[in-house]
Amino acid sequence: MLELDGLCKSYDSIKAVDNISLSIAPESLTVLAGADGAGKSTLLKIILGLVKKDRGKIYLDQKPIGSDFSKITSITGYMPERFSLYTDLSVEENMNFFSDIQEVPRRRREDLKQRLLEKTGMLPFKKRRAGALSGGMKQKLALSTILLSSPDIIILDEPTTGVDPLSRIEFFNIIEELKEEGKTIIVSTPYLDEAEKGDDIVFIKNGKIIKQGSIQSLKENFPARLFRILPEGNIFKAIESIRADDEITDNVYIRGRYIKYMQSGTAGFIDRIPAKEVKKVSPTLEDIYLYYERNINAV
Amino acid sequence: MQFEDIIRVNELTKKFGAFYAVNRISFNIRRGEILGFLGPNGAGKTTTIKMITGLLRITSGNVFVKGLNVKKQIKQIKAFTGYMSQKFSLYPLLTSLENIEFFGGISGLPRKEIKKFQQQITDMIPVKILKQKIMDIPPGIKQQVALFTCLMPDPDIIFLDEPTSGVDPKNRRDFWMQIYKLKKAGKTILVTTHNLDEAEYADRIIIIHNGKIIRQGEPSTLLKNENMDSMEDLFKKAVTDHETN
Ligand SMILES: Nc1ncnc2c1ncn2[C@@H]1O[C@H](COP(=O)(O)OP(=O)(O)OP(=O)(O)O)[C@@H](O)[C@H]1O
Ligand SMILES: [Mg+2]
Repeated sequence: MLELDGLCKSYDSIKAVDNISLSIAPESLTVLAGADGAGKSTLLKIILGLVKKDRGKIYLDQKPIGSDFSKITSITGYMPERFSLYTDLSVEENMNFFSDIQEVPRRRREDLKQRLLEKTGMLPFKKRRAGALSGGMKQKLALSTILLSSPDIIILDEPTTGVDPLSRIEFFNIIEELKEEGKTIIVSTPYLDEAEKGDDIVFIKNGKIIKQGSIQSLKENFPARLFRILPEGNIFKAIESIRADDEITDNVYIRGRYIKYMQSGTAGFIDRIPAKEVKKVSPTLEDIYLYYERNINAV
Repeated sequence: MQFEDIIRVNELTKKFGAFYAVNRISFNIRRGEILGFLGPNGAGKTTTIKMITGLLRITSGNVFVKGLNVKKQIKQIKAFTGYMSQKFSLYPLLTSLENIEFFGGISGLPRKEIKKFQQQITDMIPVKILKQKIMDIPPGIKQQVALFTCLMPDPDIIFLDEPTSGVDPKNRRDFWMQIYKLKKAGKTILVTTHNLDEAEYADRIIIIHNGKIIRQGEPSTLLKNENMDSMEDLFKKAVTDHETN
């Protein structure tokens, strides 16, 4: 069990992490979701001792770690947002290299390597120089190198940025499996679709937790009514004209071919929106995020 | 309209050693459209864009931009194309304002003009952030600065390679409203994305895989033709169909 208590970090006048407290249950998947610059990366780095906190405490299994971050780092695999691969080494050589420095037992190594490369679809490119991989392929290789050491705690900072939709699903399947093997996983991501896989979802904005809970509780307690609207004609034109209506403007946004309308108060303006089809729908995590993101006071 | 098809790509191919990253693809881009360019990692999207914009040598095939041949007239073509690369090619050690000065310089803009742009961006982003090194600012802002620099020479044709990767739901939407504004201003836009909800914002999409085009058309028509409800399903089917063939 990992507990964060009142963590703070400021840069000049910017509060990057502002009094964050969080309990991370063992064998669970915690998803940190928030905008760029919300403080997700700084928070993760504080946990690893890579950024010095101004204030707050970190507990591992009820014991304060004090300034001894090796208690955490020795059992944690971390994939930073800006990871590094050896661009002159091949995919396989990178895997071998990271196996060596992470002291992965030989008998485990080959099997694990094979499985990770297969799962990420990288097996056919085993011999390719890492520098010659596409953006998303590099990302997949970086994740694979982290997972080699089978750490107890796995911290991934935006691991799926640039990863294609099908591989993203595979990614989370791997994470699910790791969880079942008993790992504790913390993932930061701007993609709310995949956050649906999390046990605990933490929305962060301006260094603060603005909302937190299980998917189920977030969905059950969603305080607005949500409508999905299929507009006539071009979606951008439609949303522009809808936004001209002051009372609706802040409550509509686009999602694929639909416009979504969040009705917070009792007064509904849904009748004023021209539409081919209107349907009341239950919120996805993205809707929930967008709700709290703009209604911080409603938290 | 002088060129209905502002870009014509014909049998375009890129080989790295014996490996075909892009394998004889042909397609056109229509003036004023938003073309969504989709495909799994390693499909060949970036490689294709780099060939069209003259950043990567073409192995075989041809690309014509407004009737000009990329192989021969790339200088002229560069004058009216903008390219925002997958990893935003801003200088990490320079500030945003310095990057604007630098890229304004290479685009051959006069000093006065560059100053005007530097002023203009302060309306969008706080000066304090603009004076920080690129490496220290959040990706969402980096992306705005990158787009801004790419638009400074006022290009007609804009290539955006994964402009919304790593961008949160709110900023992603704001970014797409900007893309729409560009379209309204008459620009032609090619955009790649791994966020399939965004594919529906494009007038047309092309899905590529293993260097080949596996689907193309209007998003709604494609969905209807294959009797599918979501882009995710369509994407998955296109990719697996191709792999089992
Ligand atoms: N210099 C190179 N040498 C060898 N292979 C290369 C080189 N550059 C790219 N490739 C390969 O070409 C293929 C296409 O790469 P490209 O970057 O175009 O993919 P992409 O569709 O943009 O993928 P992503 O979605 O991950 O950005 C990949 O298999 C990549 O490894
Ligand atoms: Mg690419």
